[in-house]
Amino acid sequence: MAGAGNRTDGTVGMTDDDGMIDEAGATSETSGIVLDIQRAALHDGQGLRATVFLKGCPLRCAWCHNPESQAAYPETGASGKIYGASMSVAAVMVVVERDRGYYDASGGGVTLSGGEPTQQFGFCRELLRAARRAGIHTCLDTCGELPTSRLIELVPLVDLFLFDIKLADAEGHRRWTGVDGTLIRRNLDELLRRGAAVHLRAPIVPGVNDDPVHDRFLRDLEATGQFVAVERMPYHDIGRSKYEDLGRQPPAFDGFLRPGVD
Amino acid sequence: MATHHDSVPDTISELHPAWALASADRLSSALDYAEAFTAAYAASENGSAAAREAAALRVQFPAILLPPEEGDRFAGRVRYGLVGFSPEPVGLGYYCARDALTRAGERYPHEGDRIHALLAFWEERTTDRRTRAAFPDDLAGLLPSDAWTQESGVAFPLYRMAGTTLDYRRLLRLGLDGLEELTAETPFSHVVPTLRRSLEWYRAAAGGHTDPAGAAIADTIAAILHAPPATYRQAIQLFWLYALHAGTWNYGRLDDALGPFLAADLDDGRLTEEEALDLTVSLWRLMQAYDNQFNNRVIVGGIGRSNPVAADRFALMAIEATRRLRGNQPQLSLRCSADQDRRLWERAMDAIGEGTTFPILYNDDVNVPAVARAFGVEESIAAEYTPFGCGEYVLGPHSEGSPNGVINLMKALEVALHGGVDPWSGRRVAALPEATELTSFEAVWDVYCTVVDMHVAALARHQMIEYEVVAAEAPFGFISALTAGCIEHGTGAFAGGAEHRGGTIETYGNTNTADSLHAIDELVFSRGVVSLPELVRVLDADFQLDHEAGGSGGQRETHPLLNACLAVAKYGNDDDVADRMAQRVHAQVCGAAREQAPRVGLDSYLVVIINNWANTILGRRTGAGADGRRAGAPMANGNNPTPGMDRTGPTAVLNSLAKLDPTVHAGAVQNMKFSREWFGGMRAKMDALLKTYFRSGGTQAMITVVDRGDLEAAMREPEKWGHLMVRVGGFSVRFVDLPPAAQQEILQRTLY
Repeated sequence: MAGAGNRTDGTVGMTDDDGMIDEAGATSETSGIVLDIQRAALHDGQGLRATVFLKGCPLRCAWCHNPESQAAYPETGASGKIYGASMSVAAVMVVVERDRGYYDASGGGVTLSGGEPTQQFGFCRELLRAARRAGIHTCLDTCGELPTSRLIELVPLVDLFLFDIKLADAEGHRRWTGVDGTLIRRNLDELLRRGAAVHLRAPIVPGVNDDPVHDRFLRDLEATGQFVAVERMPYHDIGRSKYEDLGRQPPAFDGFLRPGVD
Repeated sequence: MATHHDSVPDTISELHPAWALASADRLSSALDYAEAFTAAYAASENGSAAAREAAALRVQFPAILLPPEEGDRFAGRVRYGLVGFSPEPVGLGYYCARDALTRAGERYPHEGDRIHALLAFWEERTTDRRTRAAFPDDLAGLLPSDAWTQESGVAFPLYRMAGTTLDYRRLLRLGLDGLEELTAETPFSHVVPTLRRSLEWYRAAAGGHTDPAGAAIADTIAAILHAPPATYRQAIQLFWLYALHAGTWNYGRLDDALGPFLAADLDDGRLTEEEALDLTVSLWRLMQAYDNQFNNRVIVGGIGRSNPVAADRFALMAIEATRRLRGNQPQLSLRCSADQDRRLWERAMDAIGEGTTFPILYNDDVNVPAVARAFGVEESIAAEYTPFGCGEYVLGPHSEGSPNGVINLMKALEVALHGGVDPWSGRRVAALPEATELTSFEAVWDVYCTVVDMHVAALARHQMIEYEVVAAEAPFGFISALTAGCIEHGTGAFAGGAEHRGGTIETYGNTNTADSLHAIDELVFSRGVVSLPELVRVLDADFQLDHEAGGSGGQRETHPLLNACLAVAKYGNDDDVADRMAQRVHAQVCGAAREQAPRVGLDSYLVVIINNWANTILGRRTGAGADGRRAGAPMANGNNPTPGMDRTGPTAVLNSLAKLDPTVHAGAVQNMKFSREWFGGMRAKMDALLKTYFRSGGTQAMITVVDRGDLEAAMREPEKWGHLMVRVGGFSVRFVDLPPAAQQEILQRTLY
């Protein structure tokens, strides 16, 4: 295990030209940093699923409920809790394979989530390949912020994309997530153009996008009939105490009880 | 630590007779009854066992019966006396409620002479005392105490003839005249006259009422005094009064017995569905009044019924009655098979999803072949397997299989690690090598097995002695008349009359023992983190450091070895290494038991891995374990992982459970808790989860659907709630992984 220790500056490992996170060899095609594997997950695609959470995210959504998944390296909270450990593709698949009977009975499979799983691109791709080779249904839970060529490379390996859609306008997207969403929209269009199955997931956050304009935007998307589903997900501020455990200040925004205010 | 333990009942024996202490008048009449019973016994003491039993039951019935209460649709309530005769509800055979009598003497000194005379008479005459007195010296040495709720020990004998399941189809087919004819020349000839006398008493009592319910009861009883029952109502009435007289409280496949009566009444328009449901609910209420703890098993569904279509109609009615009543009784149990009527599964899942915890689910596709192997019987007989009480099996009316021994495997390991001495009592149990001499894991394993084997063998001998004493004491006519083989041979069910005379041994601490042995193997012998003597010293100190920490408050520091022990992989996470040790512990004790049957003359002697309070009660006097369990803490329940140690999700738990061989025991139970969501929008996934578990070899499932109280408990004791999943907005988390503020938030959301 890389044992990066308690880095509390909120920085994230940067993506190099190969798309591999350059964090002392923390991630590669054969191994990566896994936050958790949740078995019998109910909400990450069809059927019973094993959801593999990979660490690292290019976005900094103000409402993030999994701040411990943002950094690409293992972290240790003030509580002593360790967030993330190195695992090989083979080791992940040993766990995933154990529930094959449950996938077969329920139409389930494996879901890669995060963080943003494509941040550890090589690891993510090889996990998808391994699942595909094993005949296990694959979901990719993505924020859509990755090079389009990369996404295209994954399309044949993914049975269902769980694709996050957060804000329609570039200014708001930048303000609340750190990126303007242009690439995300382009990638979504690209997936649809290629006939990929896409389940849209839309967090509804008070003071951010719980307004009629955004609702119309989502209804318009729904009306295209291009999506497997458009799911609105209620906001919660569960991430806040995790920021505290990580020694980080939760971002202030209308949905949060601001530090020092309550 | 003691506070929540204090609510645990130590024992259910003498539960009923304590009513007699409520007032001086009540005690006086209770003593009148006890003296009459005692006189009848004394007068027939030197006669035959059958004549003595008949004389005793002539006093006992209808004296201990109670009239119907408001709303009852059937006659049949009972309250046992201070002395009497029973197979198990109050005591074994001829019993004397010594504790209640002693308390009565303290509270009402003016009755002291009468009470002392009763206690003196029964001192050595009760069947449990006669059983203990029949122990050879060496057996008495191996099983020195009967006080399993109060004393430390590896193994304890139990005194009861439990779990008998009767052939009610035969009763309902024959009616009383038919049964009377069949039993005429047997030691059970007193059965029908005894029962008929009670029926007459009830008819007189109910007939005096002017209300329609009382009149209906009187009419029903009149119809079954001689002839076989012709309606659902008559069938229930006859079954129920017979069960009360037999002193049995597990009823087997009632769907097969009552289903044809229900179907005929519905089809012929004698009853509407609602009227039939009302009758069924009323029966459920009477069961709840009879026993409110561990018994009242009603079995529905499954392979091998004679009237499966009609039986399924009763099964569906039974599930509806359970949903209507929402009580903790009866313990409705559904035997499932792949080709059953799908409505059974659907309604069962409805009921479970509503939080009723019933029906308990059994998987016939695994269990029938497993029971055939475990009991050594044909599959046609194995198809009659019947869970009773806390989950032990008998072969329906074909067998006796009373669970008459308790073994605490964690105590066996504790003794093995202390050179053969129980550190709680200081008693030397066996001459064994000291921990310093145990230089390999296999050496530890061997001494553990030695302690287990010697106690299993002792309990098997006890089991046979108990059957022999009981056989000499009484024929147990009510039980024997409806147990296959007894009438034909003229022999009592416990005396060898039953086709299959087996016994079972309740094992506790299985999971903690396996996890502890695995931790010893890994920490001591594989990784060398600690020596065995040092580990034993730390366990003896209950993981507390010798010195006082911080200098104030007397708070003691926890030994760092505790975290190392807790970090070793645990059973219940689909971890092959940890689960292999659980398999090894399971195979060892199950095998040790099975070997005993031919040695002591039983047709089978099998382990049961069940749940009740014994895991908690025995845990109180069991030291800390290398699995990280603290001294005195409850042990894991049944075959389950230690609470909070199953951190890998429900599929992992189920995969671990399915690894334990079901073909070597007589029942094992698994408790599972799920959030309500699994039974709402995610019901299809719940179906897939359970069906996959059953297809993978799972035997049984007892499902709790969690609510707010569970979440609150999880906040207080997170170490026990690692399995609890909650839905938060768009994702699910392990509840205990959430920081307190977030848990509070979830708690508030689930207020509705």
